[in-house]
Amino acid sequence: MFETLPQRFREHGVHTDVRTLLLLNKAMHRGLIKTLGDVYNVLKGIVVKDPDTLGPFTKAYYDYFLNIEIEGGERLDDAILRSETFKKWREDRFEAIQDRDFDADKLVNEFLSEVHLTSYDIKEIINGKELIDNDNEVEDSDNISDQLEEQRRLLEKMADYSGMSLEDLLKRLEEIAKQQRGKHSGGSRWIGTGGISPFGHGGAAKDGLRIGGTGGGKMARKILNDRRFFPVDRDMIVNDNNVDAALASLKGIIEESAHEHLDIKKTIKKGLQRGGLFIPELVSEKNQKLQVMLLIDNGGYSMSPYVYTVQNLFKKMKTRFAHDLETYYFHNTIYDVVYSDSRRTKSFTIERLLKKDPNYRIFIIGDASMASYEINRTSVESYKALTKKFKKIAWLNPEPKRHWHFTMTIQFLGELVPMYPLTPKGIEEAVQEMNRKRDEFKGSL
Amino acid sequence: MAKTDFWSGSDKYLCDPQLAQAFHMARVLGMPLLIEGEPGTGKTELPIQYAASNAQELFVYPVGSKSNIDSFVARFDHVKYLRDSQVEILNAQREEKGLDSKMSTGGRDTESLKDYVIKGPAANAFSTPNSVLLIDEIDKAPREFPNDLLYALSHRKFVMPESGEVIEVSEENMPAIIITSNREQELPTAFKGRCIYHYIHFPEPDMMRQIIAKHDLAMDDKVIDVAIDIFYHLRKLGLERSPTTREILNWLKYIKTFSTTEAIEKIQRLEGLGSLIKTQTDLERVQQAIFKNSADFQKRSTSN
Repeated sequence: MFETLPQRFREHGVHTDVRTLLLLNKAMHRGLIKTLGDVYNVLKGIVVKDPDTLGPFTKAYYDYFLNIEIEGGERLDDAILRSETFKKWREDRFEAIQDRDFDADKLVNEFLSEVHLTSYDIKEIINGKELIDNDNEVEDSDNISDQLEEQRRLLEKMADYSGMSLEDLLKRLEEIAKQQRGKHSGGSRWIGTGGISPFGHGGAAKDGLRIGGTGGGKMARKILNDRRFFPVDRDMIVNDNNVDAALASLKGIIEESAHEHLDIKKTIKKGLQRGGLFIPELVSEKNQKLQVMLLIDNGGYSMSPYVYTVQNLFKKMKTRFAHDLETYYFHNTIYDVVYSDSRRTKSFTIERLLKKDPNYRIFIIGDASMASYEINRTSVESYKALTKKFKKIAWLNPEPKRHWHFTMTIQFLGELVPMYPLTPKGIEEAVQEMNRKRDEFKGSL
Repeated sequence: MAKTDFWSGSDKYLCDPQLAQAFHMARVLGMPLLIEGEPGTGKTELPIQYAASNAQELFVYPVGSKSNIDSFVARFDHVKYLRDSQVEILNAQREEKGLDSKMSTGGRDTESLKDYVIKGPAANAFSTPNSVLLIDEIDKAPREFPNDLLYALSHRKFVMPESGEVIEVSEENMPAIIITSNREQELPTAFKGRCIYHYIHFPEPDMMRQIIAKHDLAMDDKVIDVAIDIFYHLRKLGLERSPTTREILNWLKYIKTFSTTEAIEKIQRLEGLGSLIKTQTDLERVQQAIFKNSADFQKRSTSN
């Protein structure tokens, strides 16, 4: 069953494996899956573990089960309208209802509600029908009873359908997965008569009953149109959109621990109070120690778009975790002083900076692009002294990494200070490297 | 038998159909349901209302920064155990000296170690068939906690400390487990893999109207319409902390104390804004927006 599913979903960046299949199988055996809409819901619960995989997941589902490929940024409706699947479904539909007045929107809506119809929806319709029956018992006219008869037939069909044996159901679902591959085989009408939708053929659902199945379709539309349901590009330079992803990468630098250790003083004191009965007194300790220093290049036009974002990023971080954050500024490169204000009037010597706690984590943010003569001996020595004193140091560069080798000064400074791109991924790598150093440092103690 | 029938909410709680389906699925598969979503969208309400409407027993474990697996499952009370064993020695000595008065161990027996096991919500839920277990705000836990939970969740079995007593539950009697998270930290992938995941989407205005109706505020529809309109406007401003369901309910409770016309005026002047907006920068932004839109609001109110 669905052997190709994990591989095909992975192509969309959605993590699936054998366990997904096992769970899907289990869900089928427990009667959770009776329609294609159920497949969407169950798979979603099993596979999606983040709001931002909802988008890729929905795409993968449409691709795998319906052979509808949704291109980046495309509306679901457009993708459906240009798909072969929809065309075939429409042919069947037109044959059946002989009604050509349908507009595209209406048809797509109907298509979506068939695709996303779940067994819960069916149940609701059946329950709703019982209500209608009871309401109409008194004023039963011929007309109404005709309508009701039609609805009853439709609903019986659904009911039969949901009572279909598991073997038949599995066979049918398997067929879907296969048929969507062989789109050249032609004429397979799996949505419709022989398909997954119980009421496709005959168009009984045309206007008679409002099918409750539109919920899933609406949601799928919403998901595909919303950027929040797609992963942020972690290789993009940090900006307002991915600042949260960057923040998540930064969180790794917090040394957090919650462990218990023996409180000797308290144990002795309490033990004496108990008249010599010493019971180990444990104290749980929570540490959140973090010292961060930012050295920002805010000189020149090239850096100005980034200064704001970087400050915003670290400010956000500061509000979330109480910690020690210091910011200094420089222009192009660091000589023997940095400045403690953004207008660069109050100078702060590197000598003083070097007296600070070696546990400070230092982020230098700058494009490191300048005329090569600007990096003189003073500058080189400052960098060397900084890297020697502060083991946890990283340079975050907003220039795209692929351009680095064009600029001599970037290459040169990159050899003095470990350099990473100013992207969520770059920040994460920098933090991991810092933590590795921290552990080495601890290990040597 | 565990309850595996579909539950879609109660008179007091409107369960989003998607959430209800995910919850049903989790119970049928015997897996925990992990709910994420904006704060104030009723994540914690689901298990509380579910347990209440089915008269099932609810065990809650509120997660904090110091949570560990011992407080969740069970711990052994060493202090009591030591005290009782000392009491036994003391009593024996007294008896030797012919003293009558004895110290009591409160019915506990040092021979039976299980008397000293203090059970946490997990052990209690697993020993009560058909209960509901809520693990609230798991993202607040230290990093190791979710990983520790993994074992228990996949084996449906706990071993009590020291006493070695095993609490085991069959798949049929498995409690319904609901885990909520505000996404303040990323949970381990392996942990998420063991859960059915559901992300609560923020309700659409229509849904919000129904939610408000469930809360029986007995207010004029007009007032609620105006309030909902403004509420969704505020959400569109892209605030740092957008107001959520909880906030609009609180706001309406405040507005409720006034007569209809007075209430509409109050809503349009955004009185009681403190219940909606929670940060200073947001407040400033909203005030700017009001300034811009005040003419617009007035127009709308006259057309009403």
